[in-house]
Parts: sequence; C-alpha cells; structure tokens
Amino acid sequence: MDELELLKKDWQNKEVNLPKLSYDDIYKMIWKKSSSMVKWIFYISIIEFVFWAALNIISSDPQYMQNLKAMHIYNVMMVLNFINYGIILYFIFKFYMNYRKISVTDSSRNLMKAILKVKRTVTQYVWFNLIIFATSIIISLYGVLIYSDEGKEIVEVAIQQGNEMTFWFLIIALSLLFTGVLLVVIWLFYKVLYGILLKRLKENYTELRKLEV
Amino acid sequence: MGTYQKNLPTTLNKELEHRFVTELENNQNIVHKVCSLYTNDRDSHKDLFQEITIQLWKAYPKFRGDAKFSTWMYRVALNTAITLYRKSKKRVQTQDYDSVIFRIKADEYDDTQEKQLKLMYNAIKQLGDIDKALVFLYLEDKDYSEISETLGITEVNARVKMNRVKNKLRTILNP
Repeated sequence: MDELELLKKDWQNKEVNLPKLSYDDIYKMIWKKSSSMVKWIFYISIIEFVFWAALNIISSDPQYMQNLKAMHIYNVMMVLNFINYGIILYFIFKFYMNYRKISVTDSSRNLMKAILKVKRTVTQYVWFNLIIFATSIIISLYGVLIYSDEGKEIVEVAIQQGNEMTFWFLIIALSLLFTGVLLVVIWLFYKVLYGILLKRLKENYTELRKLEV
Repeated sequence: MGTYQKNLPTTLNKELEHRFVTELENNQNIVHKVCSLYTNDRDSHKDLFQEITIQLWKAYPKFRGDAKFSTWMYRVALNTAITLYRKSKKRVQTQDYDSVIFRIKADEYDDTQEKQLKLMYNAIKQLGDIDKALVFLYLEDKDYSEISETLGITEVNARVKMNRVKNKLRTILNP
C-alpha cells in the first residue's frame, strides 16, 4: 500500500485522540472577542482616519483663517480643503465597501485579496493625506514669505545682501528636504506596521498566485 | 461581531445559538484537526479553536444550509488558520511537536510503520500554510473540486500542487 494511503488511514483513526469540548465550552466561546488580523487592520485604519481628520480640524481655527486671509492664500487653502473633504468622503465609502467584501466563507485566495485591498486603501489614504499636508506647508511658506511682515523683512534683507537667488534656492531646497524627510519617516512607519501584520498573509497569497501562471 | 444575531428577537436568537452550538459540538473534530496542524502546543490549539469558533458564529447567519454544515466548516476553519489567525510570539518553533493529534504513547512507536508515520507527521508540520491546507484536505478525503474551491485555485493547479507536496512527503519518508 502507498505510504500516503497509510497516512490517510492513520489520520482518520486519530479522531479518538482528539479533545472533546462540551456544549457549554463552545457556548462560552461564541461570546469571546475575536483577535483576527482583519480586526487589527480595521482598528488601525480607524485611528488613521481620526488622526488626520483631527489634524485638519485643529488647524482650521478662526485665527488661522484670519492669518490665511492676511497672507492672500485663503482662497487657495479653501479650495484645497474642499478637495480634501471630497476625497475623504470617497475614502469612507471605499473603506466601508472593502470591509463588506471580506468574507470568511469565500475562497482563501479571494479572502486574502480582499484583506490586501483594505491595506492598499489605507496606504492610499495615508499618501493622500501626506500630499495634502505637504502642499499646505509649501503654500503657507509662500504666504508667510511674500505677505507677512516678518517674511517681507527676511526677503528684503536677503535682497539687500545681493544674494536673492541663493536665498530662494535655499528656501525651496529646505522645504523640499523637510517634506521629504517627513514622508520617508511616515512611509517607514507604515512599512513596519503593516509588514508585521501582513507578512504571512502576503507570503501565502503570493504562493497561491504563483500557481496561476 | 454578531451584530446580526443581536438584532434578532430573543427567542429566535436563542434558537440560532442552540442550533449553532449543537452542530459545532457534533462536528468539532474538523476544527480540532485544523488546529493540530497549524499549532504546536495546547495553548495555541485552544486559541485557534476559539478564533475559528468566533468566525464560524459570525458567518453562521449567512449559512443557508444548501451545503453540509461540515463542508462549510472546512472552509471557514482553514481560512481562519491560513489568513486571519496571527501567531503570537510565545509560539516558538520546536522540533518536539506537542500538538494534540500527534501525541502517541512511546510504546506505540515500536514498529517501523509507526516510526514512518511519526516522521511523516513531523514533515507535514514543517510545510507552509498552503501546503498544509492541501495535505489536510487530502487526508480528509476531499476531491479536487472541493480543494480548488476552498483555496480559490483551478482544479488543474490543485492537482499539480498536491502532487508536488506528495512527492515532497514521499522523499522525506524514503530518503
């Protein structure tokens, strides 16, 4: 007889060695909290969402609005805000649809695909926020330098000393560097966070996908 | 979690609970077998059993009964083990597998056949998650159409993959 057939027979005989849970044991279990990965990803995305939304609300106090008007960038910032909220609404919808698609009764491959899609949406949402964030910084910097009293002074001094070009070059280089570093730090943070959560899932998904080729 | 169940009137809810727990109690062997393949100690076995039970219960209102309860269970149990379950740090990989199903008394290993079987079980424990699922479904005597549906690959691919895993196991058994 083939060894695998032997193994199969043995496997089916092993049932007698299995533990046996009572009705009450199982009943208690159905009220316990799940610790599944999907739940963790869900929590993280909620925190993400609240964090960026809160940052947006905190930074939009009336004083800030006045400052924007004084710096003549109020309109630009309002348009940016408008776009921001529109896209956030789109993301809320997408988050909701993604979670609805996760079904444990689906095939393993589709289930993994659905979870990875959730992760992709979260990443997109974070990138979107970073871009909005960076754009606001650059616009504000422009406003401060051109229209605020302190900014005007700084620019004047630079012009008097005769190196206006160098000055602007430095400003642009510094703001690019600053946003660049910020983006890399946040990107790394997500890489680690989701890397830990999704490593095994990704490996399994790749294995199943390799079969399709 | 279980929001659907919570919204039902109490009597209906109680009935659903009762039906579910009874069916799971009668079919619990399937879940135990999945747990024993994917975990290496008693605590993790219990953890995974718990998680599979929760996932089954969450999905139960959508179970229509057009498939057998056991068939439906295979899918949820395997998906939980492969996809949703996160192994915690305490689960250290050891050579000495202590999972429930592989625990056989020492004197049972006297003849070569038993030794071979132990070798085989140890080999299975070292396979990847997907390979384990294939071996599990094979040992449970499932046909290729069910295997391919559970994993979400074509029947041909399931066959190819299964043959590879079988050969891998044979090599381990007959070096």
